[in-house]
Amino acid sequence: MINLKIDNKVVSVPKGTNIFKAAKDNGIYIPGLCYHPKLTQYGGCRLCMVEVTERGRSRHRFSCAQPVAEGMVVKTKTPETEKYTKSVMEYLLAHHPLDCPTCDKSGECGLQEVTHDLKLKPGRFKSARLDEPMRRDNPLLEYNSNRCILCSRCVKVCKEIAGVAAIDYQNRGFKTVIGTAFDKPLDCSFCGGCVSVCPTGSWQDRTLKFKARPWELKKTPTICTYCAVGCSLVINTKDKEVMRVTADENINLGINESNLCVKGKFGHEFINSDKRIKTPLIKKGGKLRPASWEDALEHISNRFREIIEKSGGNAIGGIGSEKCTNEDNYLFQKLCRTVLGTNNVDNISNMKSPSLNRLINNSVAYGMASTSLEGIENADTVFFVGADISEAHPVVGSMVRKAIRVNKTKVIIANVRNVEFGCETKNLLRLNYKLGTQTTLINAMMKVIVDEKLVNLKKAADKTENFNELLSSLRSSELGIKKVSKATNIPEDSINAAATSIAKAGNCYVICGKDIEEDPSGEETIEALMNLCALVNKGDSDKVSIVFSRENNNSQGVNDMGVVPEFLPGYLDINDPENREVVEGAWGAKLSSDPLEQKSGDIFDRAVKKKIKALYVMGENPIVNYPNGKKVKDAFKKAEFIVVQDSFLTETAQLADVVLPSSTFVEKGGTFTNMVMTVQRLHKAIPQVGDSKPDWQIICALAEKMGHEYHYTTSKDIVDEIGKGVPIYEGIEVNRLRRKGFHWILSLYYKTKAERYQFEITSKKTSAIKSNKKYPFILLTGSSLRHQGTYSRYSESLVSLASECFVEINRKDAKKAKITDGDNVKIESAQGNIKLNVKTTSRVPEGVAFISEDYEWVPVNNLRGDGYTNVKISKTK
Amino acid sequence: MAKKKSLTAKKKVTPKRPMIIVGMGTCGLGAGAKAVLESIEKELKKQKQTADVISTGCIGLCSHEVLVDVAMPDYSRVTYSKVKPDIIPQIIEEHVGKGNVVKKYAISQMPLNGRGVKQYRDLPLFDELDQNKNQVKVVTKNCGIINPEDIDEYIMSGGYKALEKILTKMTPKDVITEIGKSGLRGRGGGGFDTGWKWESTAKYVADQKYIICNADEGDPGAFMDRSLMEGDPHALLEGMVIGGYATGSTSGYIYIRAEYPLAIERLKIAIRQAKERGYLGKNILNTKYSLDIIIKEGAGAFVCGESTALQFSIEGKRGMPRTRPPQSVEAGLWDKPTCLNNVETFANVPIIINQGAAWYSKIGTEKSKGTKIFALTGNIKHAGLIEVPMGITVREIVFDIGGGVPKKKKFKAVQIGGPSGGCLPESYLDSPIDYESLKSAGAMMGSGSLVVVDETTCMVDMARFFLDFCTNESCGKCPPCRVGTVLMLDILNRITQGEGKEEDLDVLEKMSDEVRTMSLCGLGQSAPNPVKSTIRYFRDEYLAHIRDKECPTATCVALHKYTVISDKCTKCTLCIKNCPVDAISGSREEAAFIDKEKCIECNLCYDKCNFMAIK
Repeated sequence: MINLKIDNKVVSVPKGTNIFKAAKDNGIYIPGLCYHPKLTQYGGCRLCMVEVTERGRSRHRFSCAQPVAEGMVVKTKTPETEKYTKSVMEYLLAHHPLDCPTCDKSGECGLQEVTHDLKLKPGRFKSARLDEPMRRDNPLLEYNSNRCILCSRCVKVCKEIAGVAAIDYQNRGFKTVIGTAFDKPLDCSFCGGCVSVCPTGSWQDRTLKFKARPWELKKTPTICTYCAVGCSLVINTKDKEVMRVTADENINLGINESNLCVKGKFGHEFINSDKRIKTPLIKKGGKLRPASWEDALEHISNRFREIIEKSGGNAIGGIGSEKCTNEDNYLFQKLCRTVLGTNNVDNISNMKSPSLNRLINNSVAYGMASTSLEGIENADTVFFVGADISEAHPVVGSMVRKAIRVNKTKVIIANVRNVEFGCETKNLLRLNYKLGTQTTLINAMMKVIVDEKLVNLKKAADKTENFNELLSSLRSSELGIKKVSKATNIPEDSINAAATSIAKAGNCYVICGKDIEEDPSGEETIEALMNLCALVNKGDSDKVSIVFSRENNNSQGVNDMGVVPEFLPGYLDINDPENREVVEGAWGAKLSSDPLEQKSGDIFDRAVKKKIKALYVMGENPIVNYPNGKKVKDAFKKAEFIVVQDSFLTETAQLADVVLPSSTFVEKGGTFTNMVMTVQRLHKAIPQVGDSKPDWQIICALAEKMGHEYHYTTSKDIVDEIGKGVPIYEGIEVNRLRRKGFHWILSLYYKTKAERYQFEITSKKTSAIKSNKKYPFILLTGSSLRHQGTYSRYSESLVSLASECFVEINRKDAKKAKITDGDNVKIESAQGNIKLNVKTTSRVPEGVAFISEDYEWVPVNNLRGDGYTNVKISKTK
Repeated sequence: MAKKKSLTAKKKVTPKRPMIIVGMGTCGLGAGAKAVLESIEKELKKQKQTADVISTGCIGLCSHEVLVDVAMPDYSRVTYSKVKPDIIPQIIEEHVGKGNVVKKYAISQMPLNGRGVKQYRDLPLFDELDQNKNQVKVVTKNCGIINPEDIDEYIMSGGYKALEKILTKMTPKDVITEIGKSGLRGRGGGGFDTGWKWESTAKYVADQKYIICNADEGDPGAFMDRSLMEGDPHALLEGMVIGGYATGSTSGYIYIRAEYPLAIERLKIAIRQAKERGYLGKNILNTKYSLDIIIKEGAGAFVCGESTALQFSIEGKRGMPRTRPPQSVEAGLWDKPTCLNNVETFANVPIIINQGAAWYSKIGTEKSKGTKIFALTGNIKHAGLIEVPMGITVREIVFDIGGGVPKKKKFKAVQIGGPSGGCLPESYLDSPIDYESLKSAGAMMGSGSLVVVDETTCMVDMARFFLDFCTNESCGKCPPCRVGTVLMLDILNRITQGEGKEEDLDVLEKMSDEVRTMSLCGLGQSAPNPVKSTIRYFRDEYLAHIRDKECPTATCVALHKYTVISDKCTKCTLCIKNCPVDAISGSREEAAFIDKEKCIECNLCYDKCNFMAIK
């Protein structure tokens, strides 16, 4: 720490800090418009001049460019600094159009603030202004160069945080403006970072335009409802309506450090969409008609009772939600397991990759699971395995870019597709394997580590159960580097380099993505990946941690809360009589004693077989989101009674007998658990829209209707129950969550010692997936940056920004099939077909067709069956 | 030492043949050297004469171009000035053929080493010419003498001896000490101690270090670096390799502006030749030291002459200066320790190594050692490239070397240091030229452009011109330079249009201080210098514009009154002939008179008048 004096206050700051930050962190004001703590220093606004006295010499220094030194004496305000700072402001204001009445920034404008702080008087100059046209070439952002003071923050945010570098300077001298290359329309990730950091009204959020003035907006911090990163965001409301989302209230707000992606920033319009269901609906004569809550609940409880009486509780299947809160899901499974008496509760993430919960729990038990995403910035190596981070979890991408900037982190990206990752580093290694060879690749990397003795093998053998078994499995001739290189289509050097960086890294993050998790052979790939991590961790020191990506905001929580057939909340085995006894005691109700029937497939399989007669769906749209479209449609067709709880009339809700309107995340309290098991609290920002209710309230009402008493007045009561009854959530307290998230892995690590590692040997021979003649393409699906399910579908701006889902195929394939960019094609599989326009790209390998599954109106699952899906693509006439 | 043979030059020039040397620097080419060269070759064939025709760089007498030198065996080298293709037959016939100097065009002769012993009568020696008398040619000694495209000529004139010496006999530390002792200061304008800079770079340990030559000479009226690179490219390379060795650099860059195609061409040739001979590249002169030099062409931004902007430009980024610390010596190009020097600085290095620091530091003043090359231009008789010892007075340069102001006009001021410099009035004629004196007088050394201004130049207009240059060349990063200079220019424009107010001068002076203090880089910091120095020395002229709405030199068009000064009118009637509306009356006997009623103020009469008789 360095000690110095700023304005007679002794402060102590870390070495390398600049004077500006040192002052700001200690509550001392220095005017400044270009410096931003999360961006690299620029020194362009020339406002932060201070007087620095060192070794008896006083000099003027620009505080953002001057690192602190021991014994420095800084004066932030002297007649000199004031004179000069004012002169620069005077120049800036001579240039600025001063059109504050028609500027949305007015009221929260940095330029206004500094003008006010410096008490500027009328200046000496006539104006010298630019007269550039407003740039309004996209639905979300607009840029007015006349207001721009060229602080560079937007340029830096775009390059350093978003990794896009869509904008930069143009021209010279007075005519300098910010613009895109060749003045093409803005084509970026639309994270809105430029708007957030802009100190003037140059960058504007078009979705807000003239709807509200900053001082009218009420600000409520909460957690984002899209992906599983769990970004903090601030909901800005006016008259009970959400106007915009910001994240810059406090610098470094939440784990995302105020960074957002396009969905978090602009995907809020669904909340006040007029497509929201505002009253309960009951199907009469084939049509859904508005009804009262009383009637709707009455109807449901009667029908449920009938079915239970006739066929038993297990004839009801409950689908919990990856988007609802932990409290909603906890009560949902509680209701299903006790009131309805069924163990058929599940969630779509578990149906998609049934082994994932077991594997994640193993990673926790062995002490390898990562406890925080923020830790990425200290990583020396980040290894993405099947993770399309820029599309699925863009803010994690920003964290990795920060790591690269601060830490010179090495990045390894292993994927079938050449996924996008924009960053300024030479240390980026790509392992674009052939589909089906991913496990071989991981095993080969392990073989390199063992053969080259990159870790202490003796130590590894001592610390693990069956090291020799691993060794003998690695001796397989299939794993010879030449053979692997040929099979995976990755150069030998790259495999060696990747293995070396993971074994040698000081601190390594492995981020396993959906492309692996949802792959038909995902389980063994993840097992191999965990073996790799364990090999390094045990052979060296615990430095590799693994993150399993989750898709939705509460995909982790829904599983934690026991919306899984075989687990009671907190992953307690339901077949263990002891567990059952404890839970029954706590809940004061009997659990269903029907045996689990997992061998006969999931809920939809059983519904198809008519074993399940009623479906109760909360906040999900399985008709589109469940991978096997044909099966799920069949299941819904055969179900006798369907209840759907949702905010919108989704494809699933349209099939329901009763639809119950539920509130969205800004209308309720509760908690979400992100993909590294950080539990974060929501805050209610607006009252419930229409007659909608939070899901947990609906469940309580239904339970009461069915003769059970649920005494929960607020979601806090449910959290308290979870804290008492769910072992992994033990100790969670709502009031503490206000300041900081609850990391349940971390508290688990405190309490228990990691288990001895047992390698899970995957000996199955894998080889590249071959396509067949009739269907020459293999269909891959994945995430999309601009859409995610129902919410983005009803956010108009997002839809106008990304109105079309494309099928991506390799340029060479396209050329062979005489298909050009933008052609409309029919994609056909054995199960069904859809029509989409083509985007030719080099990001997907030959023989692969890629369609994002996040455009909810595109029923990609019509094509898919179980396992890999082969498709053919032909031009439509 | 397998390559030892490379150290001796191959003699290509046959001593018993006449030599014709043509000045093919950019100045020569601009004056038509190419046509002259062609006609020489044609004429030699035609007259069946044999001679070695050699092209060379700029010798400094730019106003005398095209220069053609003829050296007959055993005789000294005779210089012909302002040669046109049509006099070539005569020169070849008389001089090459018969051995007689064509006196009409010859201006001087110079003895050649071991060759030209016999001198012609009645022809002054080159060094004794008025414009060369007070010069000390140290750095430019080869310019215009040797063929820059032939490494052997450089080697024969003692080139690459210094490199050999340091690589075999001196440690990097020794080299730095020697340069430090010589007192060499950066010739790019800042005047930073070169030895100290090298030492700082050497201090940092890194896997890569860079040595960069700044050849982005952008000042209007400056061409010292260009002439050096065109005339003696190997001196620069040798200096860079020595610098690279001293600082421990692993590769080198020459950042040169793309507007210097000839210099780029000659540097490329020089690099290729130096590599062939083992003076550059891997294991230089079979020692362990290796250095590769890469030429990076700039895209024409003045600000890229600023060291950090230059480094960004090499990295392929927008040339914008950054704040310091870190200094370039710590983290410069690609964030590695980087030593950046100017062309002239590097060219000084081999001389210091060869002659010793003690010899070098005898030249110049106490704090400014050695010589400085200036580009002498403007209203001066002998415009050209000059090399003078530090401490020489302005008077000596302007009147002795430059021959004073032509057309009997009066000297008014000299602008030193280009747009970032300032002007010095007549009262400073006897002040010495060194870093400190210039700074205290409100000018600066800059890269070394020296523009002489006579009485017909309006100082307000000149300040406006230089400020306009800086305004256009600002990178746009910081408001004082981007907006402040535009606001200053605005005021100057108003003044030149007769709309100035007295308080404007006060505002301009204050702004000069503000822009200097608040700007990030040297460009912004020095942009107000011309304004500040002209207000300081020529306040009356500003006041004339503001109070009397009159431009004393009648330069500012908006202030023209369109009256004839009858004393100056020579009754040539040129204005009468050119007036499109017949508003001017007069004749050969009677001075012209402009009828204000008819005059449309088209300014044609003013433009046409050769005697400044219209104001």
